[in-house]
Amino acid sequence: MNSATRARLAAPRVVLVMALVAIAVAIVWSARPHAETQAERVDRITAELRCVVCQGLSVKDSPSESARQMRDLVAQRVAEGRSDDQIRDEFRASYGDWVVLAPPLASWSGLVWLVPLAALALGTLVALGRIRPAPAVAREPAPADVAALRERAAREEALDLPVDAR
Amino acid sequence: MSRVLRAAVVIALASLVVVLVLAFRRAPTDIKTGTVGRPAAAFTLQQLDGAGTWSSSNAQGKVVVVNFFASWCLPCKEENPALVRVYERYRASDVVFVGVLYQDSRDSGLRYVRDNGVVWPTMSDDDGRVAFSYGVFGIPETFFVGGDGVIAGRHIGPIDEATLIRGIECLRRSPTGGDCLRASAR
Repeated sequence: MNSATRARLAAPRVVLVMALVAIAVAIVWSARPHAETQAERVDRITAELRCVVCQGLSVKDSPSESARQMRDLVAQRVAEGRSDDQIRDEFRASYGDWVVLAPPLASWSGLVWLVPLAALALGTLVALGRIRPAPAVAREPAPADVAALRERAAREEALDLPVDAR
Repeated sequence: MSRVLRAAVVIALASLVVVLVLAFRRAPTDIKTGTVGRPAAAFTLQQLDGAGTWSSSNAQGKVVVVNFFASWCLPCKEENPALVRVYERYRASDVVFVGVLYQDSRDSGLRYVRDNGVVWPTMSDDDGRVAFSYGVFGIPETFFVGGDGVIAGRHIGPIDEATLIRGIECLRRSPTGGDCLRASAR
């Protein structure tokens, strides 16, 4: 293989390696720890809250007037220096745990997390019980079976004649 | 294992039945959220007719009916005659009616109250904070606040005369309303 052929084969590999490095750098860059701005915090908190007049939309994503007013309230609370928990608690006080899109584990709503896990565990147990082969344990013959076998053997021995007498 | 499986299926079906029975027994007009059973949020708002502000402290110790409404809300118009009749019935008593305009312009709200005979104090909740503090989902919604300042019950959707009277009478007999108020909301 001459050098020109080697270079032609190496080029795609270099491009691939460069692309992988670029992706890795982008991931590390985006995941780097950085101070959250107030706007980012408002976005994060409102993304976790349910729009009360919508079907399955967060306060952040909803275009409704109610959601806009709730975004304004969150922005005001963030500006006032309230913690995430304090803001979430204010929403929970008005609308219950339902208003939090990811319900807390230690509540009735937390069943949405626990029930699937319990169902998965139960299903795994059932599946394992069905898949596992039956253990090959040598069965001790019943006394009646032994007696019957002995009787049969004795009968056959009694009938057993020398070969030349047949 | 088949016994375990059978038991699991029976438990799952029984749980489903219990959940459905509980869900269907609940009146859709009486959804319990965080605010029922808690002190009503204090508020001061500008009155629609320009007569200054109205503060919830004005109604301290009294039975208060707080109705959230808007001019664009057809069910609000539907329930309004019942509100007017019950207001007239209790006008001279210690029962206070309050209307809170929800997501509407003051001009439209003022026109609505003038056209529909709403004579009790009405005010505009411009930033929606009062509706938020009461846990309003949508309008019309009516809250019953006892003399102790605690929200004793709520009614989601258009309210009728009998439900209003029962709710008020429950609270006049006992500040908390107790089971009486819950029964009236069904």
